[in-house]
Amino acid sequence: MLMQLTLGGLSQGMIYALIALSLTVVYRSTTVVNFGHGDFVMAGAFLSYVLVVLAGVAFLPAAALAMIAMFVLGVMFNRGLIRPIRGGPHIGLALMCIAAGYLLRGIARMVWGREVLPMPPVFDMAPIFVGDLVITGDAVFIIGTVLVLLLLFFGLMALTDLGKMVQAVYQSPRGARLIGLNVDRFNDFSWGVGAALGALGGILVAPVSLLHPDLGASFLIKGFAAMTLGGFGSLGGAVLGGVLLGIAEQYAGAYLDTALIEITAYVVIVAVLFIRPQGLFGRKAVVKV
Amino acid sequence: MKKYISLLAAAGLAASPLLAQDAEWETEGLTDDAITIGVMGPFSGNASSYSKALIGMMAYYDKVNEEGGVHGRKLVAVQEDTACDSAKGLAAAKKLISQDEVFMLQGNSCSGVALALRPTIEEAGLPWIVAHAVSDSISDPLAGNIFHGVPTGRANGRAMAAFVLSKPDTSNVAIIEHSNDWAHSYSNPARDYLEENGVAPSLELTMERGQTDATAQVLKLRQEKPDFIIAALYEAETAIFLRDLKKYGMGDVPVMGTAGTDLENTLKRTGDFDTVKNYYVIHSYVDNLDGPLMQPWGEMIHKYYPDEELSTFSFVSIGSAEALVSALEAVGPELTRSKLMAALEEVRDFDTGILSDPITWTADDHQGVKGSAVAGFVDGEPTVLKAWGQPY
Repeated sequence: MLMQLTLGGLSQGMIYALIALSLTVVYRSTTVVNFGHGDFVMAGAFLSYVLVVLAGVAFLPAAALAMIAMFVLGVMFNRGLIRPIRGGPHIGLALMCIAAGYLLRGIARMVWGREVLPMPPVFDMAPIFVGDLVITGDAVFIIGTVLVLLLLFFGLMALTDLGKMVQAVYQSPRGARLIGLNVDRFNDFSWGVGAALGALGGILVAPVSLLHPDLGASFLIKGFAAMTLGGFGSLGGAVLGGVLLGIAEQYAGAYLDTALIEITAYVVIVAVLFIRPQGLFGRKAVVKV
Repeated sequence: MKKYISLLAAAGLAASPLLAQDAEWETEGLTDDAITIGVMGPFSGNASSYSKALIGMMAYYDKVNEEGGVHGRKLVAVQEDTACDSAKGLAAAKKLISQDEVFMLQGNSCSGVALALRPTIEEAGLPWIVAHAVSDSISDPLAGNIFHGVPTGRANGRAMAAFVLSKPDTSNVAIIEHSNDWAHSYSNPARDYLEENGVAPSLELTMERGQTDATAQVLKLRQEKPDFIIAALYEAETAIFLRDLKKYGMGDVPVMGTAGTDLENTLKRTGDFDTVKNYYVIHSYVDNLDGPLMQPWGEMIHKYYPDEELSTFSFVSIGSAEALVSALEAVGPELTRSKLMAALEEVRDFDTGILSDPITWTADDHQGVKGSAVAGFVDGEPTVLKAWGQPY
């Protein structure tokens, strides 16, 4: 059972990792926590649903198109709604994110209102039985896709000039500006990447779950818990936090009580903030007075 | 003597505004040509598919209105969204009662919300027919103005357990449920019935609303190897649970679901017949949803709501709307709230032609529907059953 729980947790945790990573990408570059991010996840899932079920596009091109559309939406959101109020109080930015999220949710409710929608299975592979361990097509697809994407993402960050520029802006926007980097454009890019990665989380969860306009709310909490566990602002920490959270949920459900699955994320947030506020990989905040 | 008469006259004068106020209250929300009815339901949110029940009910109002109304009065629905959330439901109820001043209330999916509303509505005193939510605590203990027009959780829960035990050699029964009043309203009576028959549930699991994965629950079930699983889960979670059961090689274990789900939509949501072939649900109707006895009701809904996609919920509130109209007719044109409540208490063995069991309301018992059938796939076709292998 332990192996099966770990595999199930890994599969679920990969989704959380993706959502936490997408939140962190935006947070690191702009210091804005996108409280509307759950609805970006939902929007990605619904876009892929429209393309696959209503337009008859195959899943992979539909997923790519949905991610591109969400990238554009993320850029537009930053340019149109965040950038104009950037100098204002942080609460304004947070409220703008919440408002944008509710707008997306409202649109989904207007279109699909009272329906809970099924997405056809994507990777319809017969489960593989290895002793008691069941390896399902969904788990293989989710874990494989996210692993490839993470390798690409972190490879790009570590090995290319673009990645070095990104890290320069992360470390010091003012310094980056001084050496001629266009920080505003970079922020657009971060919002776009954040929205697209979040959307991919929704796209991957859609075939194993069901779609409804409120889908994103619980994923937002999971994303926050993973970020907290990994350390705010740490890209690697967000991924590890997501995976650990997914596995912790399964272990808590199986070995303690199934009622604990849904509150594991909240327990993680409280425990980390008390025991190690900087998370696993975050930096301890030091305020000089 | 004169003194007493003067005192009585003074008392009468003092009481007259109160009497006038009472008379005003009795006919609030009523005009010569309309009866306003507050219809609350989850028109948004992840339980919004339950609001189909209220669409069906309002289609029945439209039918009655098209036929001339009741004693010349049209049934005018004033809709409010609860989003299956108690706080929103409470705000909706207060608005309908105090601001819109409706004559009565009918509707309400989501037991948690209806339970939260009970004190407010009981205090307000206007008639309330609960037309979808099933928790017994909504109408028990008895409140003079609250009437239950669908089988309650107790009736359904016991019917679920009875069906489970009607399968030969069933002794190992597991229960999986949400941790809310709605789920307990099914699982507690089912548990009681099982225990009355010498069967204690072997495993009790929780799956919360919004969960997208049931791996941990299914693995525990796989270890326990139950003969039957009772699942008190909402639609989305039912589909996820059944998918995961099949995924982990437990697709052959029969699962008994609540009236909160139906076969056709569960099949649609899982997208695979093998996943639902052993799924059974409480089915409160006289026929399959596409059967000849249900067809006229479906046509009625489509006449007034042409784009409405029908599910089992679409029909569940129509029976209580029929009973309401019957009581309104019995009262006559001089309608008041008190007269309506008295007339509702006179409804006996009312055959709705849609619910599997009749409606009876008495002065001592406002839970009108006492039984339910079960539906399951037999030879690949949805079939109404009264026990394992026995057609209704």
